[in-house]
Amino acid sequence: MRLPETFRVQNAPLRPLLVKELWDILGGRALWTMLLLMCPLIGYSFFQAVSLYGEASTAGLQLPVLAGSLSPLDGVLVPTLGAFYVAVTLLFPFVAIRVLGQEKESGALRLLVQLPYRSSTLIAAKLAAVLAAWVLSSIPSLSAIVIWGMQGGHLSAPETLNLLFGHLLYGLLVGAIALFAASVSESAATAAIVTLAFTIGSWVLDFTVAGQPALLAWIARLSLTQVLRTFEQGLLSAGLVVGIGAAMFGFAALAKVWLPPGVQLRDKVIRSIAWVLVVALALGLTTQIKLSFDVTEDRRNSFPAADQHLLASLAQPLVVTVNLAPEDPRYADLQRNVLAKLERALPKVSIRLVSGRQSLASNAGDDRYGEVEYTYGTRSDVSRSTSPREILPMLYGLAGVSPPAPAAGGDYPGYPLVAGRQVALLWFFVGLPLCIVLAWWWSRRLPEPIAARSRRRFTHEDD
Amino acid sequence: MVFHLVSPDRAIPSHSALPMVAASASEQARDQVLLRVDSITKQYADQAVLTDVSFDIQAGEILGIIGPNGAGKTTVLEAVAGILPIDEGDVRWRGKPLPPSRRHEAIFYLPDGVRPYQEQSVTRVLSFFAGVYRRSIDEIADAIESVGLTPVLHKRVHALSKGYSRRLMLTLGLLTPHPLLLMDEPFDGFDLRQTREIVNLLRAEAVKGRTFVLAIHQLADAERVCDRFILLADGRVRGIGTLGDLRARTGISSGSLEDVFLALT
Repeated sequence: MRLPETFRVQNAPLRPLLVKELWDILGGRALWTMLLLMCPLIGYSFFQAVSLYGEASTAGLQLPVLAGSLSPLDGVLVPTLGAFYVAVTLLFPFVAIRVLGQEKESGALRLLVQLPYRSSTLIAAKLAAVLAAWVLSSIPSLSAIVIWGMQGGHLSAPETLNLLFGHLLYGLLVGAIALFAASVSESAATAAIVTLAFTIGSWVLDFTVAGQPALLAWIARLSLTQVLRTFEQGLLSAGLVVGIGAAMFGFAALAKVWLPPGVQLRDKVIRSIAWVLVVALALGLTTQIKLSFDVTEDRRNSFPAADQHLLASLAQPLVVTVNLAPEDPRYADLQRNVLAKLERALPKVSIRLVSGRQSLASNAGDDRYGEVEYTYGTRSDVSRSTSPREILPMLYGLAGVSPPAPAAGGDYPGYPLVAGRQVALLWFFVGLPLCIVLAWWWSRRLPEPIAARSRRRFTHEDD
Repeated sequence: MVFHLVSPDRAIPSHSALPMVAASASEQARDQVLLRVDSITKQYADQAVLTDVSFDIQAGEILGIIGPNGAGKTTVLEAVAGILPIDEGDVRWRGKPLPPSRRHEAIFYLPDGVRPYQEQSVTRVLSFFAGVYRRSIDEIADAIESVGLTPVLHKRVHALSKGYSRRLMLTLGLLTPHPLLLMDEPFDGFDLRQTREIVNLLRAEAVKGRTFVLAIHQLADAERVCDRFILLADGRVRGIGTLGDLRARTGISSGSLEDVFLALT
């Protein structure tokens, strides 16, 4: 008789687990339904974007000076992928929740946690399944980009890849939240509510507290939609990428804590609090990472190259004191045109918002309202302008350096295009849905190998 | 398969005192105590579900946990398997403490009423388990054949009858390498003939060295398959032993398990 011992499976193969997770995603209706819903959603957005871009291009083709403002990133890619963002926000959670929620509801989780894998491995495999689901769900968006390229539309590789990378991070973040929600919830319905509380709650934050002073503005920055804005502006921010990674890791860690059913609730809560503190600390540290790259072809997030080089050589700290309310449109202009670029160009910049706790109305009688004071070393000057054309010479004056000679050429030419739209309509409303249905049918096929082999074996034995 | 011994025989305390052992367990059997469950207690809010439940499991036996619905049979199995947190108590594997996080190294629990991965075919579910434990095609085929799962290999799990669903779970259990299998209501959904087939299968597996703990509420089924019994009622152990031991304890010399159970609970 074999003497029973305790066993530990070392190097339990990951492949069966990953294959199982993939088939689990493909086996449900959620993914395919979402893909089918995405076709008209993204297709119509693409159609509208190309139409509007075409109308603007008509004027741009006649007047070259207008063409310079025609960027496919703003005109086509961002609006088309905007529909993808809506789908990922509202529909993708249901697909991601299924990765764990289905096993929880059917009781299969009680089998899964007994398999020779660590909880972290199980969560990592499920995140891999979420990634696979995101890749599949990005097919309509990618096909729109391909159609745009085939129609002669200009695509800047860094801009496009950066934008897709942002959507990937956003999708994975939503997926990690969904996994966490599924692990703490008893039912998929509850998990969906928890996840949508995060995603739709972000919209509420955007609409209600964005542009508000002080604490509310800080809270608004926690919105998930902020994740994409930087990428849509053509910036690749190391701090943001690391921050999203930390948030994803945090949600995955929480999912790992709540996955094993055999742990006391009190222990789970204590471990969760510990992880929340660790991730909050990590997120705080990521705000100190200032490294970012302007990947746009028109360099919209940077000053001209000569100015960038000169500003980078200014060693002393620059203090900018802004006497504007955060909701003032002039502040938004100043932020976009000057302050954000200065923060990227100068090694040491600090920006103080004097009216941070006041509203636009409360500053009506203040004569100094609207002034922006720039202090470099011991010298300072004041301006009300929001244009770099006025502010940069002033800064050079404060620093005692000569402005750089303007470089010839290098202006963004713009890429006007009046593209046909019927192909896109046909693809998104007929071709792509048909492909998705065929792929769905293929995924529903039943496997044969074990059945066939064992039947053959039994047949031989019967003979 | 790549398995490594974690707790070898030498780790067994040779004369460890058993807090509560079957009254008639022989000294030889005591040496083969595989798992000892010591005073486990579980409460939900103010309701005690398990109170001071202790027993031991001998290597190679089929132990039945017997009791009416709500007696705490499933709770015992889940607590022992480590997938339900307990308030107090201890589980020891060959004398060494086995924490809940490591129970899955020695014990595999097949819960009742689970249809895993319902959208997938039976073949795919079996492939998954076989892949995890690196089972060969022949081993899979043996398990399928012994359980009689061949007719439904091509079906999706959600389309299986209750009996075949139970057979699928049993096949998954056979594909695992664990020396101790805990099974909740393994005969639920089987008719008499099918029950006998499964009883024979479990017996054959026990002879090969596997140990089974079965939670059963049908006393006739339990009497047919189990070597020893734990009688459970209201979350408390009312008796442990072979049918002969229990008869002796109750003084019912030729009574059935049902008679003994009624006398003790």
